[in-house]
Amino acid sequence: MAHVAATTGTRPLHPPGLRYYASRGGCASASPRAGICTRRRRREATLAVRAMAQMSTAAAAGLKEGIAGLYDESSGVWESIWGDHMHHGFYDAGVAASMSDHRRAQIRMIEEALAFAAVPADDPEKKPKSVVDVGCGIGGSSRYLANKYGAQCYGITLSPVQAERGNALAAEQGLSDKASFQVADALEQPFPDGQFDLVWSMESGEHMPDKRKFVSELARVAAPGARIIIVTWCHRNLEPSENSLKPDELNLLKRICDAYYLPDWCSPSDYVKIAKLLSLEDIRTADWSENVAPFWPAVIKSALTWKGLTSLLTSGWKTIRGALVMPLMIEGYNKGLIKFSIITCRKPEAA
Amino acid sequence: MRLLTHNMLASNARGAVTGYPLKLQVVKWSTKEVEPNADFLRGILPKLDWPALVAATHALGLPELLPETPPTDAELSAEGAAEEEGGPLRRLHRALLEIHIEEGTLVCPDTERCFPISRGVPNMLLHEDEVRN
Repeated sequence: MAHVAATTGTRPLHPPGLRYYASRGGCASASPRAGICTRRRRREATLAVRAMAQMSTAAAAGLKEGIAGLYDESSGVWESIWGDHMHHGFYDAGVAASMSDHRRAQIRMIEEALAFAAVPADDPEKKPKSVVDVGCGIGGSSRYLANKYGAQCYGITLSPVQAERGNALAAEQGLSDKASFQVADALEQPFPDGQFDLVWSMESGEHMPDKRKFVSELARVAAPGARIIIVTWCHRNLEPSENSLKPDELNLLKRICDAYYLPDWCSPSDYVKIAKLLSLEDIRTADWSENVAPFWPAVIKSALTWKGLTSLLTSGWKTIRGALVMPLMIEGYNKGLIKFSIITCRKPEAA
Repeated sequence: MRLLTHNMLASNARGAVTGYPLKLQVVKWSTKEVEPNADFLRGILPKLDWPALVAATHALGLPELLPETPPTDAELSAEGAAEEEGGPLRRLHRALLEIHIEEGTLVCPDTERCFPISRGVPNMLLHEDEVRN
């Protein structure tokens, strides 16, 4: 799903074209109010963050339906404008992007993630033979990895439309013996333990309402020695003195979450903590926010083309709402609230 | 859905002991020919649950396709194995990769919970009350 990247430096990034959006929202500076109001807001904020893993049953069901519906509805539009990869492209920091760069950048994102995780490529014994693509979209990553490694790739998505499209594209590309797609929940993966040499989650972690269960399932289906790669949107790490994000930050995140069917966010160090709790090894993380930043001006430009506009207008309310919320993502990025992160680790070898 | 995929799928619903293998009920299926790859088949053979694969072919009405015991690596790597029509490699290849289930149902062996296969896509989503805590 398209999101805006966050800057890591103190100077916010204002690529041309973003200036209008960045200034519209303004910086919501919370004017200090003494007494009960402040204490209540702080408590609410704390509870909101702590509720990360405790979504009610009804809310979780609604979230899954919302996600499936969003992608059933918008996948076709997305594919017609951007192609079969639904994730951000990786750019050199500070470089302007154009539409024609984007597909290459999306491929580069996959390769950079594999390199970061040190996934063996050339050794026929060590390269991955089975891969699970968690939150697979229409299967761009799966098909790419199937081609690269000759591996069996299994993708799971909540969206039946995406799974069917993924299978159709695999057949078109002569990969139907290598890549297959099923409808399943990343929090209840329909596989026995220890099946996969590479566990891949590219920009899907944002949708998982229970991050601990999400990572626990990734670990469960990983074979001993397998690498796990998570590329996802997070909020900034909290300072040691903080219990939660600031109220205006939480408010901004909530507005973004409502539009994109995203549950509460966590930070990169939350993921690291979870990985450690699960005894995963060789845990590495990086902030790639600056490397995805060039994408947004290109998205906005595409939305403003005739093809983009007409596609949006015919594609349904959910997709339109997602597009209208782009300025909020840009705002979050400029404030250093939103981070594009990679977290990788390894399942321990069998004892 | 190919039978290779079927061999990988399990039910995670509450009440399932292993949830594996899923029983297969087929309404519509087709075959799509694809070049066999001996190295791939030799590599995947040790990872297969052979009785589950055989049961799936029986459910398709193809009891003669696979033997009760799996082929050996020697049989798969023999000279000309890939060309031998009706030989062990071609039979394994057909079963795993060339059969596509378009419409049907996967049934959990422990709970009898049914997962639909629609337009070639299995839907393994659980209802909220089936999720394990």
